[in-house]
Amino acid sequence: MIDYQYLIDYFEEFPFLIQLAWRISGLFLVAIFLLTIYLKVIRYHLRKKENEYKVFKNQYEALLVEYLYADEESEEAHTKQKAIISKIKSHIPIKYKRKMVLSVLYNLLNEVSGEMAESIKTLYYETGLIDYALTKLENKNWYVIAKGIGELRRFKIEESYGDIINFIEHSKKEVRNETQLYLVNLFRFDGLTFLNELKTPLSEWTQLQLLEVLQKFDDQQICDIKPWLKSKNDSVVLFALKLAQIYNQFEMKDILIELLSHDKKEIRICVIEVLTHLYGIEAKEMLKANFNELSIEEQISFFGLLEKLVVPSDEPFIEKHIFHKNFEIQLLALKILKTINLDKFMGLNKLSSNKKAPVMFKFVNNIS
Amino acid sequence: MDTSTVKIIIQIIHYLFFAYAFSAILSYIILAIISGKETMEYLKRNSFVNYKDILSSTMSPSITIIAPAYNESLNVVENVRSLLSNHYVNYSVIIVNDGSKDDSLEKLIEAYDLEKVDYIINEKLKTKPLRSGVFKSKNPAFEKLMVVDKENGGKADALNMGLNISTSKYVACIDVDCLLIENALQKMIKPFLEVTDAKVIATGGVIRIANSCVIRGGKLIDVNLPKNLLVRSQILEYLRAFLLGRMAWSRLNGLLVISGAFGVFDKKIAIDVGGYDTNTVGEDMEIIVRMRRYMEEQGRKYKVSYIPDPLCWTEAPDNYKIFISQRNRWTRGTIETLRKHRKIAFNPKYGSFGLLSYPYWLIFERLAPIVETVGILYFAVLVILKEVRWEYALSFLVLAYLFSVLFSIVSLYSEELTFHQYKKKGTGYKLVLLSALEPFVLHPFILYAAVRGNIDYYFNKNKKWGEMKRKGFTSNTA
Repeated sequence: MIDYQYLIDYFEEFPFLIQLAWRISGLFLVAIFLLTIYLKVIRYHLRKKENEYKVFKNQYEALLVEYLYADEESEEAHTKQKAIISKIKSHIPIKYKRKMVLSVLYNLLNEVSGEMAESIKTLYYETGLIDYALTKLENKNWYVIAKGIGELRRFKIEESYGDIINFIEHSKKEVRNETQLYLVNLFRFDGLTFLNELKTPLSEWTQLQLLEVLQKFDDQQICDIKPWLKSKNDSVVLFALKLAQIYNQFEMKDILIELLSHDKKEIRICVIEVLTHLYGIEAKEMLKANFNELSIEEQISFFGLLEKLVVPSDEPFIEKHIFHKNFEIQLLALKILKTINLDKFMGLNKLSSNKKAPVMFKFVNNIS
Repeated sequence: MDTSTVKIIIQIIHYLFFAYAFSAILSYIILAIISGKETMEYLKRNSFVNYKDILSSTMSPSITIIAPAYNESLNVVENVRSLLSNHYVNYSVIIVNDGSKDDSLEKLIEAYDLEKVDYIINEKLKTKPLRSGVFKSKNPAFEKLMVVDKENGGKADALNMGLNISTSKYVACIDVDCLLIENALQKMIKPFLEVTDAKVIATGGVIRIANSCVIRGGKLIDVNLPKNLLVRSQILEYLRAFLLGRMAWSRLNGLLVISGAFGVFDKKIAIDVGGYDTNTVGEDMEIIVRMRRYMEEQGRKYKVSYIPDPLCWTEAPDNYKIFISQRNRWTRGTIETLRKHRKIAFNPKYGSFGLLSYPYWLIFERLAPIVETVGILYFAVLVILKEVRWEYALSFLVLAYLFSVLFSIVSLYSEELTFHQYKKKGTGYKLVLLSALEPFVLHPFILYAAVRGNIDYYFNKNKKWGEMKRKGFTSNTA
């Protein structure tokens, strides 16, 4: 028999630091052992879950397709549909099965439209899946709320509007983003009215998503964007500018010209780009007159506008900038000059004393 | 000096070593906890994000992938194909052939039907001049591709050429031999578009090791664990560094390095700070430190972001010679960057950058190999003098070893709960076993390379990049 007492006595004779080191080592050893076992369990479960997912996915897909394609007139089919609903109902209290049903429904929703989509929505109600989504809106965790809103958006549940609108200024940007997507997905341009009062910033990420959603609709009749162009929230103004460009809001030119004196440089640059797109010839003289007060980025944008809207009377202004120290401006000036007065452009080539100019002249000259 | 003074000095040295080791371990634990929290938060945030909208949006910001290539003839055609197969809608690819001596350019011209085009470069950053010029494809299928052939100036110079040529708002700087996952760009661009309370200046991605993985047509088909012990050990090392380290620094907004293999930058800021430094071998770390310094000095709120998804796969060195050469370069890069920006160290003017990130890198990255080497030498002296108190030595060695194994296993655990890339049966055991072996098969060589890096930095100033021979993904294809 091993004399454990001898070992314990021997250990206790060590200084405190050594005892501590061995004790921590012991703890580490136990942790390594437990984590190794746990790792095995996790890997086993992940593999199992993956296999189960494939099996259940096929099963649910078959069930849901059967439900959707059942002949509603026939009594037999109706009974079958009821059986499918009650089967799904019995599965969805288990979280991962509910997730799977939802994922199959999402996939189906992406593939169908019209009556089929309506049938999926009915199924969503009848199985009670909607109740789970509505409960998510009351959860204290932001990501659960966001998931709930996202789900209600996908199934186009308009009745939740009253609950969801409360999250429009939520402290978490993900919840706000989902709320905004919900509103625009369900209520199209009317859903954008939240912009009237929005105090939180609308990220560029959200803006792109909203624009993508809007462009998918058949009815492209845009609402009045004037209040948003005048918004105190800069991100709303930037979003409205994107709308003005995409939806060719020619009637907004006056407000756009006013916005050329906005405090934010980013907005001013964006306005010049939108005016370029909208052939905002009215802004040209104003910008020309204030050219030296503009930032270099605004000056470049303005030359972009001139490239599109140039007329022969702009020649003296262009000529003044063909040796501009900024590469982009010089290049644009030369390109524009070549367009409006080729003879003058060719003549300038010989006069140039600027080191870089001959290369640039040659380059512009070669552009067809 | 009498014996008691010597004893006191020795005692102080012991305490210093102890304090260093203790604080290093403590910092690893703290960083791992923060990383865990941040990763969970990241996964929650992204569990309901729809990347498809950004994918198809023509309003999405433009990104240019800049990939420098030097003597990559063996794989350049395949690698470019991979870069061209990204799903992001608004992007272009610039391959900068950095004075290759092989037939890389000819192969690209032939494979992509390239023709020389007139091009004028806005030389915002000084670079070596063009050699054969700028090429674009006659085939509309490759309209996103541009090949620039220039005189050799090194990776940083090639990247600067790419920055000069790019017309996009954002640039993704990448090693040409890296394999990007199809949705890599939209994941990397997200922080730039999403953050509204600060300017995101750069986003770093995780680098995963592709040796032994199955790759077809520029796409990752199957993830395998390599047989080579050195490569396998690097997998573990990368998991630890990326999953348990960088994620925490991202949370603390203290990332000082974005891997040169894959990072996305705000082009304007990158150019405003002067682009990549051509006089360092650690240009990837240096540009981040310089961009941060620039933002701090301007008093602007900024962020360096980090995406933990496995988006970029690369080939790791599979022999010790190349491995040591690579780590030697990393060490020299770190020393050069920290020395160049030493003004930041412990400087409250730079906030947490000067008081936390920089000191951490200085103490636990820059000085670690030196402290470890001094410790080993000191231990050897004690052994010779028969002054070793073995009961202490043994207990601390065992403790350090077990901590290292435990830390590796925690990183495996973190990987399984998040991205679960090594799915095959039996891989888990192999990785756990590797956690026990790695301190012997990898760490000594990392230390050796770091010491060599220090010596080369101080005594062999002419040493530059070193060799990195690629076998290429095609040879891994099953």
